[in-house]
Amino acid sequence: MATIKGSITVLDPIGLHARPAGQIVKLVKESGLEVRIGKAGQELAKANSPLRMMALKAKTGEELNIEVDSDDEVLATDLIARVQEFLKG
Amino acid sequence: MLDSGTILTGMGVGLGSVAAEVFRVKPLASLPEAAKHSGDEALETESLKAAIAAVSLEMNGLAEKAGETSAEIFEALIMLLEDEELLETALAQISQGWNAGTAFINAVEEYADIFAGDATFEERLNDIRDLARRVAASIVGISLGLDIPTTGRFVIVGEDFSPADTAQFTEAVVGVVTIQGGPTSHTAIICRSKSIPAVVSCQQAKDLVDGMQVLVDPVGDRVVVDGQESDITEALSFIAKSQDPIIPVRANIGSLEDAIAASASAAEGVGLFRTELLYLSAKTQPTKQAQAASYTEILKAAPDGPIVVRTIDAGSDKPVPFLDMGDEENPALGVRGYRLIENHRDFIVDQLESLEIAREQSGREVWVMAPMVSTYSEAIEFAALARRAGKFKVGIMVETPSIVYQIAQLADVLDFISVGTNDLSQYLFAADRMNPSLGAMLNPWQPALLRALEQIATACQEAGVSSGVCGESASDPAFAVVLAGMGFQSVSSSRSQVGIVRQALSSVTKQQAKEVFEAALTGLDADQAKSAALAALAGISAK
Repeated sequence: MATIKGSITVLDPIGLHARPAGQIVKLVKESGLEVRIGKAGQELAKANSPLRMMALKAKTGEELNIEVDSDDEVLATDLIARVQEFLKG
Repeated sequence: MLDSGTILTGMGVGLGSVAAEVFRVKPLASLPEAAKHSGDEALETESLKAAIAAVSLEMNGLAEKAGETSAEIFEALIMLLEDEELLETALAQISQGWNAGTAFINAVEEYADIFAGDATFEERLNDIRDLARRVAASIVGISLGLDIPTTGRFVIVGEDFSPADTAQFTEAVVGVVTIQGGPTSHTAIICRSKSIPAVVSCQQAKDLVDGMQVLVDPVGDRVVVDGQESDITEALSFIAKSQDPIIPVRANIGSLEDAIAASASAAEGVGLFRTELLYLSAKTQPTKQAQAASYTEILKAAPDGPIVVRTIDAGSDKPVPFLDMGDEENPALGVRGYRLIENHRDFIVDQLESLEIAREQSGREVWVMAPMVSTYSEAIEFAALARRAGKFKVGIMVETPSIVYQIAQLADVLDFISVGTNDLSQYLFAADRMNPSLGAMLNPWQPALLRALEQIATACQEAGVSSGVCGESASDPAFAVVLAGMGFQSVSSSRSQVGIVRQALSSVTKQQAKEVFEAALTGLDADQAKSAALAALAGISAK
């Protein structure tokens, strides 16, 4: 399976807190895809646990890498765009 | 025992107030001590999963009871409760021999260690700990219900209330006092949304006992033992006495959405257009055409009046992906704001030139200013760049104490200055804005800040430079009156506050505003300064 990579920026003024973490995990679970998110230079974490997302402690303005395992590039790009929406605060 | 009339100070939530009898929420039934299981891991795993499911169901029920505002909070809590990773962590604890309840509490504490010291997460952490206690209680069959009376009128007093607690608030809860918790705690959010007068973070409330009468007075940030409704701190009601405020009230914006929303308010133009939002999510530097197009759209949508645009305010704590900023030990004191000129002159010039295109295309009056200017030379340099780039009024932000002493020398260089009170406080008091425990120093009513602001306003008047304030403090209606009293010529507020700030500034004359400011100057600390100013304002509105 192909892996589509992208990057997202935390724009929410409080950082990656509980609400966006929950929204992301919910979206990922509904999609049935494996999605990984993490800071540049660090191992990415599976985006199926809100606590693990919060444990990234991503702050406002910080850029994160995101990877989606899927052969459907349109679907994956759309998912990344929606994750970015959740981080707008 | 607290004497009648004792004042307990905390942080007020809301504008209403209430006098009623204290109902002390009983401490939670104590959970069994941490313990090992008898060796049957499968049984413990099963009982943990069953308890999580049961609490999740209970939360769903509470979500329905709590209504709309809280539904989203409960949804987030349930996701945390059912977090796969949390369960795995707990199962690992069971393998180490801990029984189901202890294992789940330990698992949550492992996360607590990760989040420790991070103010944003700490309040949520209390919510998660509450869930862990509920799971542990469910395993041993203890009820954690609050047992709040359903009839009568009570001010309920407790340590802090979790979402599951507040969902159990009955009609009888007319006021809330918490010993812990801050203005962004769950209790505060719920009380605000339900219009229940509350005082949070009120440590002396630990001495309140059942049956006492108290006045919950959020406007005065206090609880008064045996207080009557007549002791209420007047919520300032500003009765506009003239059509127009004594100085213009502008709006702060950062995006097209903000500009559109601000134009629906009574704002006279924009006093602070933060441009960094346009760049924070861009991976490469937008072309001049792209920047000009975004700016044109926003300038066209902005409320009538001048639009004050601040050039990029970024730094290593607020990095722009396409500008290489590196890491800094001390970002607040590092290369940020106008200091980017050293390595990114082209970008700042590009920004100014894009703004000039947008100014021409929108036909709007545009003022430009640079953030974090701390020397005369920087101000001169920016003014030259800006005047070369376009037909703007040119100014700087006054945020560092150093530039305050050179305003007089900038008389013929600048058209205006705008004070960012948040950063000015941070640098004046050497108190990190990001550190919640230093909040008291960053209170805008600090006498030293008031005097610094007066010095700025006076220096600007003498130099013939127009002066305004766009920091958070200008969104506080009473403080806006004080700023006008010092001699500032405009304020810029967050969009939602424009109406009330305008009203406050329409309820006084310039002379009265000066009296309110002079009253504030009599205070020796922030509380005294604020009370004196509010008393002076109340005196004026009573006339």
